[in-house]
Amino acid sequence: MSQDRHLILDNCIKCNICVANCPVVKVTDQYAGPKQNGPDLERFRLDEPAAVHPSISYCSNCKTCDFVCPSGVNVATMNCKAKGEYVALNGAPLRDQVLGRVEWICKAAQIAPSIVNWAAGVGPFRAMGEAFFGVAADMPFPRFASKTFLQQFQPKKIANPKGKVLYYPGCYVNYYTPEVGLALAKVLAHNGIEMVVDDFNCCGLPTVSNGLMDAAKAYGVSNLEKLNRYIQDGYAVVTTCPSCNLMLRQEYHELFDMDTTLVTENTYDAFEYLVLLHEKGQLDTQLKALPRRYGYHQPCHLRAVGYGVPSQEILQLIPDLQVLPLDAGCCGLSGSYGFKKEKYPISREIGQNIVRAVEDTGVKQAVTECGMCQLQVNHVTGLPVVHPIELLAEAYGL
Amino acid sequence: MNKKTDVLIIGAGLSGLMAAAKAAESGKKVTVAAKGMGSLSLSSGCIDLWGYDIDDPQQVCPNPLAQIARLGEVNREHPYTKVADVLEESLRCFQGITARYGCDYRDNGGANWLLPTAVGTFRPSFLAPPSMAVKDLDKAKRIVIAGYEELKDFYPEVMAANLARNGNLPESVNIAVVKLRCAWKKLYATTLAHRLEQAEGIKEAVDQIKPHVVSGTVVLFPPVLGERLDIDVAARLSAALGAPVYEVANIPPALPGQRLQQLLLKHLRNMGVDVIIGCTFTGAKTEGNRCLQVTAEGAGKTFTFAAQTYVLATGAFVGGGLDSRIGAVREMIFDLPVCTLEKWASGEFLSMNGHGFNRFGIAVNDRLQPLDEAGQVCLENVRITGANLAGANGPIEKCGNGVALASGYKAGKLAGEVPS
Repeated sequence: MSQDRHLILDNCIKCNICVANCPVVKVTDQYAGPKQNGPDLERFRLDEPAAVHPSISYCSNCKTCDFVCPSGVNVATMNCKAKGEYVALNGAPLRDQVLGRVEWICKAAQIAPSIVNWAAGVGPFRAMGEAFFGVAADMPFPRFASKTFLQQFQPKKIANPKGKVLYYPGCYVNYYTPEVGLALAKVLAHNGIEMVVDDFNCCGLPTVSNGLMDAAKAYGVSNLEKLNRYIQDGYAVVTTCPSCNLMLRQEYHELFDMDTTLVTENTYDAFEYLVLLHEKGQLDTQLKALPRRYGYHQPCHLRAVGYGVPSQEILQLIPDLQVLPLDAGCCGLSGSYGFKKEKYPISREIGQNIVRAVEDTGVKQAVTECGMCQLQVNHVTGLPVVHPIELLAEAYGL
Repeated sequence: MNKKTDVLIIGAGLSGLMAAAKAAESGKKVTVAAKGMGSLSLSSGCIDLWGYDIDDPQQVCPNPLAQIARLGEVNREHPYTKVADVLEESLRCFQGITARYGCDYRDNGGANWLLPTAVGTFRPSFLAPPSMAVKDLDKAKRIVIAGYEELKDFYPEVMAANLARNGNLPESVNIAVVKLRCAWKKLYATTLAHRLEQAEGIKEAVDQIKPHVVSGTVVLFPPVLGERLDIDVAARLSAALGAPVYEVANIPPALPGQRLQQLLLKHLRNMGVDVIIGCTFTGAKTEGNRCLQVTAEGAGKTFTFAAQTYVLATGAFVGGGLDSRIGAVREMIFDLPVCTLEKWASGEFLSMNGHGFNRFGIAVNDRLQPLDEAGQVCLENVRITGANLAGANGPIEKCGNGVALASGYKAGKLAGEVPS
């Protein structure tokens, strides 16, 4: 056992703040909670890796426990590893193996996206999916784009660029919402930043959430190797998906002890990058007015990186645009979590906070960075949801 | 990344949130940034000012404000002496905010409340939320203590036995225990609170308690009566049972502290305050006796905050504001001098004299600016609040939230007066 694991464990003073803030514990009696599954059982796991409570599969990996902890205990990381240990010992159902491998699903669907979209919306198919595979029939699947982002992106040559960016679109943007990546490309080009893309693996977060640690690690090794090369060539890595961002800059290191020094230091959320540009006085602030009101939902994985909401700082520059924080906590979907039959009711119940926040603020549309959060906010409230970069591109008139 | 703000409050406990609320009134741009969620959510939810008599520590203090006014003579170093000028004003401000969000914190006409706890003792407290402000328990004809079979950490029989012993209740009072059953397999306080926000949860409880209610009954619950501010679970239960229902103080995760935290965060959001949780502060850059910026870390990356005024509200040892090694105590961000005592701890765990380390903290002047050993201001644009202040012995004096509230309020007020 490593000394590190001991030290971080001993920081837990059992204050219960993680339990008090856990969105899952609140709405179900199926989950033994972050403290019990995390630091409490970790003590036993140091000697006996099999000491995992089966309720670990109810952790949604929202990371709330990590960032509310005042003692620096990485409860969620312990939970993730424990889930991995549980799956390694007991195996994962076929459903979880498929849901976790988002990259496979997306690649397979590319053969005929429109047919997949059609089939995903057919009630009887969904009922069968729920009965035989445990995939919740009521949770709508995101719709595949007819062409991926990588197929659509045209690199633009910029003379004397102010910066060089490698964009890591992640599976969601590449296969479902290429318009987000295209909006980023326009915004960066407009501000004199060169943007390139490459073919990467899935960041691996969905595999981690399903306890498929070996698969996640393999993704990590392949991605890091490629990312490091770009960084050494002077590129900054930019993401628009908070989960990919968290995975690249923190989780490979925390979960697999990989050396991510370069990637951690050089990976930015798109708006974090734009804030830096703005600080240097290099961001074009000629923005046209967007006289609208949006409710802003902060994705858990953006909150987990602990630097606030950089998109708010930039969106504030857009005249007449009102962005009201919904501040409703986790949306409840947590990637593949809410697609699981037994977890769908939990996911939906957690999402009621969003419903109430929308009623309180009276907003008619919402904005959030995370693709899966977009899906859930739309599912529980019915509101149209966009990525903040789309608003910025629009305000530039691009 | 360099974040700029007028007032940066480091720490999201009661003093930090109060400082933010007051500073935001002045129209300044206020940011609250903290490593974790702040221990307010783990607190009783009551505001204790001063628990026991200065001259006779066995007696509950009859008039906390009058006692605190005497501290200037008997203990000049107590943080209350630095905030005496705003103490009452800060309480009124706090009551005003809580009333605005439908949870009006109540005083007991200047005297301490004596509120029952989960182990059947009575705690003196100055302000209590409506769901906890039990009035005239000794006039009740029957006290029903409701606990859940599935809930850990609340044992109604223990409470009943101790209440009978400690409560100074007339012999005619009948104390009954009702062990409720819930349709859920196991319960945390938060799980139960959620269930009690639903109609079936209320019905489940009412069906089981109702047969035990006679005229003159008071029902006491563990502190689980809902999480949300927009649902008054105590009032719903009370209406359905036809008897007043109160929740008693218990160990975390109890809900009254969480509701207070949620209420203050909601207020800050409405005031346009930026709240960032999950960033760890690692140091400060100073020039002369001014702080220029502080550094913070999130997801392995460093960024800075620059502000006119910095409020240090990081707490003491539990909150992580102070760190101790053998023979040394450090303040973690500005490296301010920490006042310690020769004797750190009493040999007796539950000593009524308290432990020395609880009094450790930063010495300040009347403007809450940190002082060095010679009594000179170290950093003039930094204000110190709450458990970071030296000289209070919270566990013994029962003054933690009172000091936090008043010092946070004062720091916020002073920050608001700084010319832009």
